[in-house]
Amino acid sequence: MTDTTGRTLPAADPAAVARTAVRDAKDAGGGTSTRLGTWLTLPAQLLILFVAVFPLLMQLYLSFTDWTPLSGRNWTEAYTLWAGTWNYEDVFADDRFWGALGRTLLIVVVAVPVEFLLGLGLATLFMDEFPGKRVLYSIMLVPMMIVPAVAGYMFYLLFQSDGPINGLLSAISGQDVAIRWLTDPDLAIVAVMIADIWQWTPLMFLILLAGLLGVPQDQLKAATLLGAGPWQRFRTIVLPKIKTIIVIALAIRVIEIFKIFDTLFIMTAGGPGVATETISVFFYKIMTLELAWSYVAAAGLVVLVGLSVVAGVAMAFLPKPGKRA
Amino acid sequence: MTRSPAFHVFRTAALLLALIFVLIPVLWMVSMAFKPIQEWSATGDLLTWWPRDPTLDNFRYIFGERTSELIVALERTAGRPILASLLSSVVGTAIAMLAGTAAAYGLSRFGSGRNLPLALIQLRLFPPLAVMIPVMVMWAYLDLIDTWWGLSLVYGIVTLPFAFWLMKTYFDDMPREIEEAALVEGCSRFRVLTRVTLPMMRGPLASSALLVFILNWSDYLIALMLTTREWVTIPVYMASLSSSMTGQLYGAKAALGLIAAVPPVILGIAIQKHLVRGLTFGALKQ
Repeated sequence: MTDTTGRTLPAADPAAVARTAVRDAKDAGGGTSTRLGTWLTLPAQLLILFVAVFPLLMQLYLSFTDWTPLSGRNWTEAYTLWAGTWNYEDVFADDRFWGALGRTLLIVVVAVPVEFLLGLGLATLFMDEFPGKRVLYSIMLVPMMIVPAVAGYMFYLLFQSDGPINGLLSAISGQDVAIRWLTDPDLAIVAVMIADIWQWTPLMFLILLAGLLGVPQDQLKAATLLGAGPWQRFRTIVLPKIKTIIVIALAIRVIEIFKIFDTLFIMTAGGPGVATETISVFFYKIMTLELAWSYVAAAGLVVLVGLSVVAGVAMAFLPKPGKRA
Repeated sequence: MTRSPAFHVFRTAALLLALIFVLIPVLWMVSMAFKPIQEWSATGDLLTWWPRDPTLDNFRYIFGERTSELIVALERTAGRPILASLLSSVVGTAIAMLAGTAAAYGLSRFGSGRNLPLALIQLRLFPPLAVMIPVMVMWAYLDLIDTWWGLSLVYGIVTLPFAFWLMKTYFDDMPREIEEAALVEGCSRFRVLTRVTLPMMRGPLASSALLVFILNWSDYLIALMLTTREWVTIPVYMASLSSSMTGQLYGAKAALGLIAAVPPVILGIAIQKHLVRGLTFGALKQ
């Protein structure tokens, strides 16, 4: 690494390094620099406390009450509307909640594998040299840079029943196509998945390409000379090398799609009916339309606990994502 | 590696298909942004991929100019939402970068705040709406609803994990010798950080800040919950931009979408070398 300040720094002579080592050892014992470390981490700790830990406790409290912003009481007095575990009992009996959870998981299990396979295929093609590769690489990254709400609007326009997608299909098939992409309950969820695949396949591509570039080429050449086919090369050399990277890419997408809201909400607002109502849309609607805040507080905590359990189990079984690849 | 001609054909076809798939949605919205009102909902043969009669009316319209007798003037123009997006994203980025960089340095050099890496990952795990209730109650209590500063504070914490993890990997990678040399010269630990380490980290700091800015700028959900009127951001304003009075403002919304989409696309391409590291929390380096 070069010194970008332009100043000349004294070369570290062995004696100096030894002295520093001694000083560092003293620091570790609780000197001024440890205190500096505490001060440096303080703002982040306070932010977490203020916007994560404290709110969670508050949410737990509200979830045992019947409080809403319309109850005319300060939230601190929510205990006067004590509801015990009613909210939680309601959550577990609420078909709409479980339906939303199911649809969210459906989007996850369809979109993530499609994004992964498309991304892997594209990344494999980018392992070769071809004219225009750099420009194409930049273009391929554009979808993930688009503001998700704007991407939602793009697909909202595309999927109008008299819109360009049906126009294209009409031109290709030679007959009038009028598919109700966004208003047919079965198709709306497909349209939403297509939008997500469009926007996030580039991320898979980007991550997987970085992984593939790290696979030693000489090993692949040697395997080819020894007569290994493409599939065999992939399975025995490439796959073990990029396994961690695949896990990271999949984990990121599963987490993010589970939260899906922006694109979907702009496209369908969860409709028609509840056909595309995911867990985030469900929370949003109950909060804004029914103002049942304490109920959402309870449902949110149920999701939080569920996700933590799943994440904990996944961490125990999968290779550690924190490990350097 | 030598490839057969059939493979070349296949590769070209596949890349072409990917290119078309990527460009179609963008192309349609860009073209819509330049279409006059008569072409907004053209159907059949009149539905064209390029405006037949390109115009800047849509852009003029969202900034408050009356451009056509067909639509009534907007009650609220796009200027204020653009300002709201800029202020909340920039200040949110500043909060995330200041807190994140300081904490990353504290952990990387002094081992302070060992709870932070996991706590910040967990923060990304949960759907924001599942934990939004108490934030909204608090923000209402503190009079922070519908203010850009209240929004930027939430942005600061939401993107803190990215700032922290990115800077931590950069600090971990940095050779210690230079800092040690400065210490030997008699600099205090704090002076070493501000005079030696941070100037050396200008590149990583800039690219991390840009990534965090893109993420803040891209938000829709949080602004939807925390702003109502005065300080709505571009995406919230855009979504609200059709009424019974004006009908579907396809072209105007597309123009606004284009304005919202351009900055992150340009910035994203500029920092593409850092994207892998940034979006995988530093787990992968390109």
